[in-house]
Amino acid sequence: MNFVLLNPLTNAFHLSISLPMLFIKRSNFDQLLKSLTGDYKVYVPRSMGNTTGYSLLGESDTNYEIGEIRSFDPLKSFYFLSREKVAEDFKPDIIRDDKPPCIVGAKACDLKGFRVLDFVFIDDECGDPTYMKAREKGLIISADCTGFGETCFCTAVDIDPWPQSDFDVNLSPVDDGFIVTTGSDKGLNLIESNKSLFIEATDTQIEFIQQNRSTVKSSVMKSAKALRIPVADRLRRVIKKQYDSNIWKDASEDCVECGACNTICPTCHCFLLYDQKSDGRLARFRIWDSCMLHDFARVAGGDNPRDRLWMRLRNRFDKKFNYFPEVLKEIGCTGCGRCIAACPGKIDIREVLARLEVT
Amino acid sequence: MKNPYSSIEAEVLKVTTETPSIKTFLLKPKEELTFKPGQFMEFSVPGSGEAPFTPSSDSQIKDTMEITIVKVGKVTDAIHELKPGDTVGLRGPLGKGYPLTKFIGQDILVIGGGVGLAPVRTLMYGLFHMRDQLSGLVYRGGCRNPEEFLYRKELEEWMKRDDIDMKLTVDQGDDSWDGPVGVVTTIMDDIDVNFERAKAIVCGPPIMMKFATFKLQELGVKDRNIYLSMEKNMSCGFGKCGHCRIGPYYCCKDGPVFTYDMIREYPGIWE
Repeated sequence: MNFVLLNPLTNAFHLSISLPMLFIKRSNFDQLLKSLTGDYKVYVPRSMGNTTGYSLLGESDTNYEIGEIRSFDPLKSFYFLSREKVAEDFKPDIIRDDKPPCIVGAKACDLKGFRVLDFVFIDDECGDPTYMKAREKGLIISADCTGFGETCFCTAVDIDPWPQSDFDVNLSPVDDGFIVTTGSDKGLNLIESNKSLFIEATDTQIEFIQQNRSTVKSSVMKSAKALRIPVADRLRRVIKKQYDSNIWKDASEDCVECGACNTICPTCHCFLLYDQKSDGRLARFRIWDSCMLHDFARVAGGDNPRDRLWMRLRNRFDKKFNYFPEVLKEIGCTGCGRCIAACPGKIDIREVLARLEVT
Repeated sequence: MKNPYSSIEAEVLKVTTETPSIKTFLLKPKEELTFKPGQFMEFSVPGSGEAPFTPSSDSQIKDTMEITIVKVGKVTDAIHELKPGDTVGLRGPLGKGYPLTKFIGQDILVIGGGVGLAPVRTLMYGLFHMRDQLSGLVYRGGCRNPEEFLYRKELEEWMKRDDIDMKLTVDQGDDSWDGPVGVVTTIMDDIDVNFERAKAIVCGPPIMMKFATFKLQELGVKDRNIYLSMEKNMSCGFGKCGHCRIGPYYCCKDGPVFTYDMIREYPGIWE
């Protein structure tokens, strides 16, 4: 198979990789992951109730599960830490210097999240050094979705529920293992240097994964359609048109300003720099911030351009469905539905979008 | 690559009290740190935090810079405690400055208000350095009362120059004041320049910028020629932290100087 890929760090197109589709048994994949723990911090999804959550793979640890859908936690957590020391005293050094992350089982929506964060943080002039290093050195082993979650709406934002680019290696789950495709030179090298763990996939296996992809996609599409989410190329127009609508006031009524929607969102990147002095040393921390909180845009004199809660809710939608399409030519929402699951006020981004369309 | 989050160490050389709530700090960075008029610095007191300020000194002076700061919150409280010899941090320069080369051959109107006179001072030095390349230079400054005027000495010197049409006003006069009384827009009617082509620079509190902008429009200055120095909540200073977004722009990275036509359609610009 041939893939045309866009490398997030160089923005260069390169044509990779002609390989037959390969199969790896779960037990061989366990072994592959174990071999990666030398060079990487390997994060795997583990079953947590009816969802999955990521944690570090330990030694002789095979207790992970490639979830049917995305994990509950956003993968930005491993690249753009929620609280991280970014400078110390007046030293120009870059602080974080540990093994790069290897993420196992990232879904297509997660990869879209990286495309947005890459746009924000990767920058020759003044990019975020630790994010850039983690992206450059890190490894992404993605996976097809094999089920449909009740908050999933990726197809509404133009994403198919299986990875097509922005991964090193992709897994398509089949009986007792995975069909493996490579998406980068790094992925190709990984497979080539572990050749003995793979065999050629059978036509039955390939048909199975194709069937799975089309089943999952139609479930998501059906749900998005039933919820009347505006189609992707209308979203920006809808947001702009409804800028002065009362829907914002209405939709924000149940918001408790906890900021969970921001925290859990794979594309929310806002942060705050916070200085501390400990043991006579100056430490500067970069901490996740939330645009739903009252003082997010307040200036020192007291003026606040988004003094009211509904203005902040509108701003959150504007950022994702108007700002990113304008500057990046991509919607800043991945359709993962994490914000729906996380909201204590039960604000549903899909319903708000649908209301904007019909009003 | 460089770490955009780390500050350069600087020494406080001198502290000048301008008004009870405004001080000017003369700083000597330990590494060369140059800036252009309109660019800003993140100024930090070790352990107390950072805040963005536009330097107020002549950008052609390379080894020191002055920053004028109003006491309004946690970081500025700590800054106001500083004494000569203290160590502070500077991160920058950040943002885009005024496009001085675009000003060549043009009539330039500078409208400053309140503590907005601080960044305006840097700009004025820049404009005086290129005065022979400008076709005209007008300055209108306003403050709430005569005591609020910063840099009295310089203002008086500039008043004496014959290559600038300069006027100052106060909202409320006192015995020491024999100039005009009223907001800054009340001393803009006698400006005699080619408004069609003139470039206007406005810097001051949001309410003053708003009405000065409307006044300039009324006089015939084009929106694309009105340069506004926007004040937004800024943390990183290079377009990553998300706080200072104005429509498709970040105030820190794409500004803080914007022409009015770039931002007029976006809500909350005057707040």
